[in-house]
Amino acid sequence: MKRTILVIDDDIDLVEIIRLTLESEGFGVIDAQNGARGLDLARERKPDLILLDVMMGEIDEGFQVAYELRKGDNTRDIPIIMLTAVADQTGYAFDPEKDSDFLPVDEYLEKPVSPRRLVDLVRKHLPPTI
Amino acid sequence: MERRAAGAVAQTAPEPIAAESAHFVSAASLRLRSDWFNRMRWIAAVGMVAVSLLAVEFGRVALPRLPILLTAAVLLAMNTVYTLRNRRVPATDIRAELIVVKIQMILDLLLLTVLLGFSGGIENPFHFVYIIHVLLAGLLFKGREIRRMSLLAGLLFTAEVLGEATGLVPHRHLSSGPEMSRDWRFVSSGLAAFWLVLVACAYLSASIMRHNRTIKDDLVIRQQQLMAADKAKIDFFRYVSHEVKTPVVTAQSAVEAVLAVAGADMAEKPRDLLRRTVERLRQATEIVQGLSDLTRGPLHQGQDVRDLNLNHLIATLLDGQQSLVESRGLRVEARLPAEDVLLRASETMVEKVLGNLISNAVRYNRDGGRLTVELRDLGDAVRVSVADEGIGIRPEDLGRIFDEFYRTPEAKAASTLGTGLGLPIVKRFIEQMGGEIVVTSEPGRGSTFTATLRRS
Repeated sequence: MKRTILVIDDDIDLVEIIRLTLESEGFGVIDAQNGARGLDLARERKPDLILLDVMMGEIDEGFQVAYELRKGDNTRDIPIIMLTAVADQTGYAFDPEKDSDFLPVDEYLEKPVSPRRLVDLVRKHLPPTI
Repeated sequence: MERRAAGAVAQTAPEPIAAESAHFVSAASLRLRSDWFNRMRWIAAVGMVAVSLLAVEFGRVALPRLPILLTAAVLLAMNTVYTLRNRRVPATDIRAELIVVKIQMILDLLLLTVLLGFSGGIENPFHFVYIIHVLLAGLLFKGREIRRMSLLAGLLFTAEVLGEATGLVPHRHLSSGPEMSRDWRFVSSGLAAFWLVLVACAYLSASIMRHNRTIKDDLVIRQQQLMAADKAKIDFFRYVSHEVKTPVVTAQSAVEAVLAVAGADMAEKPRDLLRRTVERLRQATEIVQGLSDLTRGPLHQGQDVRDLNLNHLIATLLDGQQSLVESRGLRVEARLPAEDVLLRASETMVEKVLGNLISNAVRYNRDGGRLTVELRDLGDAVRVSVADEGIGIRPEDLGRIFDEFYRTPEAKAASTLGTGLGLPIVKRFIEQMGGEIVVTSEPGRGSTFTATLRRS
């Protein structure tokens, strides 16, 4: 069965790039252009993994979505890979180990998104099929 | 040939405009002056003892030795208290320091009046020490405080002189000439001259300091305006760099995705062209990132300062270059001390500095060349030198390699993809951390960059 990846990002072009990359590797891709829609989709469709942009409409919208996902019973266990260009804005590069206390995501992927690294990380964090 | 980029902390916070500026001097600088006053008092007390002894023994002047010695003893005791206070109490509050100095001046004036009473009054040429106090008050205080201190000095001297003139206070005759302390013409003209000089000195010193305060306030305001403008420039630049980077990064990701998905099916030439496009877009991203880094040093300094293990950091950075090192057949030698070297500093800045130096040494080395990284703990500083056996730098280029966007002709020939921002970032970050970088180089034989980072 096709594994489904939810991409939450307001950059439509980037969503299409990710879609092209992941679909060519056999994944199904659904997308949302804002945090609220992303949360709805996550709850309705329960994707296997979520790619989440940090900065959308609000500067910390991605963080808020991550907190909400971790609170929901249906979404708590979905792996999250956070897409960031935050280092570009702040000089601060996230680290999943150092920052796990305040930001509960599984991985950070700094933009530009390298197709090979994207696919590797998605495969790494996808839960094993039953 | 050696080029040294001297390091100094480039950005320091401005002094607050409020209390310090209003008083012109800072608490610390006032304390330095207070120490100087204390030294003068030691000299004055010793002088009083010496004069009282010598004048009586050799000058045949009938000075009362005991009261003068007692006055000197009081001055010594007071000065001991002042000196101890200066040693034990840190100078942090300008208002407290000013109050202390004011009390000291009042006591000095009282003691001076007592001393004059025992040593000739208006005949004693040291009565102009009152004027010195008035000048000091003009330099340190403002408006009403200067007038009060001047009035006190004038009144004390006038009271002493009139006391002697009227016979209320005994007069000690110093000169061998006629007795003048009860000559009203001499007394009144002496007092008039004294008051004239006193008022003139108070006015002049106060007016000079008023002018200086205006200049200083203006400078502080200009400094704040410049800092605000600098911050606005940095904010604007950060915004622009993000706005430029976003579409470039998306374009890079798009081309990479096309290559990944359809590259295998493409003809060689278009595929090669797309690969070059990716490299160029990556270069553009690096330039924007580099420019952003150049404006960001102070942010890092307050942000991610931690104890860094430089042995681990260097090993990790060398690991990151492993594939390039292998493809070019470089021989890497890491001379790291057995004991881990720790440095408390911004992780991002140190990583950028060492990362840039190491990647340059890989990029501009000759095939099969040696790359040596040496780490030394100097106690109050750490020193990292990165040496290659590559293209080297011509003497005429050594002065320009830290300029933004400058790339030597040899560097351009060796690699088209450099940004010309790596070394400027290295220099800027090292300077902001209070260190320095030195480069020695021989064209065609290689370069050694030595970064010294202080543990302050």
